[in-house]
Amino acid sequence: MSRQMGDSHRRFLQTMMSNGVISSSQASALHRHCCETHGAHYSQEKVEDFISVINAQLQPLFMHIRKGMSEEDGLDYFALVNMAKTDITKMSSDYADNELELFRKTMDLIVDSENGTASSTDILNCADSLQTKKLKKKETEHVLNKFVQDKWLNEIEGEYTLSTRCIIEMEQHMRTIYPDLIKRCFVCHNIAIQGQICENAVCGIKIHLPCVARYFKGRTDPHCPSCNDFWTHEIPEVQQYSSQTLQSQSSCAKENTAGPSTSSTLATRRSRRS
Amino acid sequence: MAESRRRVSRGSQEESAGHSNGFGGRNRTERVADTGDEDEGAGPSGIHEDDDDPARRREIRSQYRDLINSVHQNREDMLNPANNKLIDVLEEANKLFANVRQAREAALDAQLLVLATDLGREKASQLHAEGSSFDPSAYAQHLLSFMGLNRLEEEDGNEDDCSDGYLPPDAWQRLSKRVESCFKTAPSFHYMLGSFLVEPPPPRQRIERQRKAPSKEAKRVMPIQLKKMEESHQEATEKEVERILGFLNKYYADNSESPIPYYDFVIDPTSFSRTVENIFHTSFLIRDGLARIYLDSEKLPCIVPVEEGEVEPGGATTRQQCIISISQASWKEIIKAFDIKDGLIPPPEEPSQEDRQE
Amino acid sequence: MSQRSAGSGARRSRPGRSQVILDDDEPDVSSQPSSSQVQRARCSFTPQQIEQKVAEVVQFILIKDQKKIPIRRADVVKHVVKEYKGQYPGIIRRAGQTFEQVFGLNLVEIDSKNHVYILVNKLHPLPGEPISMCPGSPKTGLLFVILSLIFMKGGTVKEILVWNTLKKLRVYEGVKHEEFGDVKKLVTDVFVRQKYLEYVRIPHTEPLEHEFRWGARAEQEVSKMKLLQFIGELHNEEPQTWTQQYREAASVESNPR
Repeated sequence: MSRQMGDSHRRFLQTMMSNGVISSSQASALHRHCCETHGAHYSQEKVEDFISVINAQLQPLFMHIRKGMSEEDGLDYFALVNMAKTDITKMSSDYADNELELFRKTMDLIVDSENGTASSTDILNCADSLQTKKLKKKETEHVLNKFVQDKWLNEIEGEYTLSTRCIIEMEQHMRTIYPDLIKRCFVCHNIAIQGQICENAVCGIKIHLPCVARYFKGRTDPHCPSCNDFWTHEIPEVQQYSSQTLQSQSSCAKENTAGPSTSSTLATRRSRRS
Repeated sequence: MAESRRRVSRGSQEESAGHSNGFGGRNRTERVADTGDEDEGAGPSGIHEDDDDPARRREIRSQYRDLINSVHQNREDMLNPANNKLIDVLEEANKLFANVRQAREAALDAQLLVLATDLGREKASQLHAEGSSFDPSAYAQHLLSFMGLNRLEEEDGNEDDCSDGYLPPDAWQRLSKRVESCFKTAPSFHYMLGSFLVEPPPPRQRIERQRKAPSKEAKRVMPIQLKKMEESHQEATEKEVERILGFLNKYYADNSESPIPYYDFVIDPTSFSRTVENIFHTSFLIRDGLARIYLDSEKLPCIVPVEEGEVEPGGATTRQQCIISISQASWKEIIKAFDIKDGLIPPPEEPSQEDRQE
Repeated sequence: MSQRSAGSGARRSRPGRSQVILDDDEPDVSSQPSSSQVQRARCSFTPQQIEQKVAEVVQFILIKDQKKIPIRRADVVKHVVKEYKGQYPGIIRRAGQTFEQVFGLNLVEIDSKNHVYILVNKLHPLPGEPISMCPGSPKTGLLFVILSLIFMKGGTVKEILVWNTLKKLRVYEGVKHEEFGDVKKLVTDVFVRQKYLEYVRIPHTEPLEHEFRWGARAEQEVSKMKLLQFIGELHNEEPQTWTQQYREAASVESNPR
């Protein structure tokens, strides 16, 4: 019964279509707004149940509202994603072929880098060698802007990173395309593109920046949680998030309890993956 | 419906203007007569000798054209209920018409009259419409205010009301935000996955790994976990090598008479990177003595599986090494030269199927 | 505390909305026998195969709607339905149901001769949304100005009036605009292809003149009453001031298509 979709669900879905990605606190507020607008039963802690009702209907349509963590602020986000790779999905008209090629090249550069960023210079350089149709520098800048506007890339001071929306939608794809380059965060076990890598070359574990901040918080002498070598990177400050952070942190912790995060479980996870 | 009726009537106006000049002319004579009394210097009526003076006729035509042009240009002004510009134009036309003697000039007069009638009708419709009329200029001013026009920036006075003041950068966004509730537009769905062809990049992982070759010191503290990871990577390669051996054996079993050309076997005409991967994995078959490559009568390489028992122990000494290099260009060349249509080694299963089922 | 108030709020608003909830509880048509079953029996397609086709059609229409260009049946058949052509009426009907039941959208045929479809929203944007349901593009504002001009001038306006009005709003016919780019193209080509506007030659004009009217999409998507209310707000007048326009807006409102 409660599995049936109502206008509250439709309004939520439409808002997801328009925005592509929303933070979990926005999702909570939207959930409440949608329920109250359409007089549907509302209970604060049931956002995920509410979303799963929508997902049940979206599944045959190769769509999904999926949750993921931002590599920037460490908060949870929800993104509406496409799951199919077919001749029909290739008809998307948002970008021209050479713009998509540029996106793929940018993704290559980002994934191939240690810290998960690509400089605008590097991206501009590879725009010269596009097979589909070359892009001029000016056009490339324009296209990159469009990617940022459409929330596929983030940009800070000329450095491009993959957005939360992009990672949520493309995670599986990236694992297939770059099986040996994609790592999991040692702390939260999620896919890690941006992060710090243990300097010990045989260890080389990766940790998200927000996870680094939380994990090493208050430690004067940080050591790698895996190899125990000295952690040479600068430890970012835990940002002053709202009460939201605490929530997402606790949910993060909950996920971790699914298996003790010892190195051996991590290792089994990894071997299973490949 | 109202529009089509209006257009029909305009059409017939124009037709009559085109076909019945004489009729239009007659009407006009009456009109001239109406105003002619006060209009002393309007024209030397009754003088007929210069009816055919080409210079004079040219001048009349030019004056008509100027008038028609100015009507076109000042259309908005003419429509403004607050002035009588339309009447001024008609009076001007009357003066000109007093000197018209020939059809060609009369046609221009008719054209002007059509224009004026059209404007007159439009102007009248504003006045006679029930309720308030709608003035686009006033509307534009209201919109400007709503969009946050900054009217303080006045320098050269306001000779042209278009140029004084400037709009803030978010002016249109502000308007859009307000009016979007008037639209029942469906939101659209945007995505990145599945919008492009999937072509895995050439395996760079190898280089990556070498670059990070562990130093001796680092080796000491190498944790068990990493060993496992490397093993798993190796496993993946082994699995792929076995898979390829499976295909080689199958093709050989299907027809052991005809040799399998090496390039036919490894090249995937749809993917360069798959081709490179195939070459890489196939090289393990050769290294491990599970397959061998030989040159056929045309000096082209062929590949066959090494049958059980054929594997010579310690055979490594008799083996020869060779390096195969392939570039994107040579890959394309080979496909063309050997007319390769399908890859013999299908790509490993893509987890995209799994994606769908999730 | 917040939970309690939320609960009571929901309860309070429920009775008025019961119609909506009832609507939601309408039978799930996908599991009902349908008129196309006869056809289905004749062809060898299983219900699962038809189901799959319906999903693909929904996906195709969503993708084609990205640019808001109306979707032609010929394209749906060519790219998706293919050998299921005989089942087309059933498939498109079911796709329409999916749009209603899952997305809250209506699939509307705006041209029954050439079979052209658009998607129209059944839900309305509301004040107080925590995140906007339609983050409008500045182009919506431009489109609104043109549509309102046409509506207020009785349904048709000459092109010159549109450009003269836009000029006052710092948008010039032949000049590249910071937000709209090539405005001439946007107005006379893009909006026209999206079926927001009709742009037609006025016969017997020399030099050539054009006039604008509302396109089929505008008739479906735009609320004339809401438009008139905003115009009234701007002029500090009641919408009823414009008697004819008000009458027309009210008649559309009471007989929704």
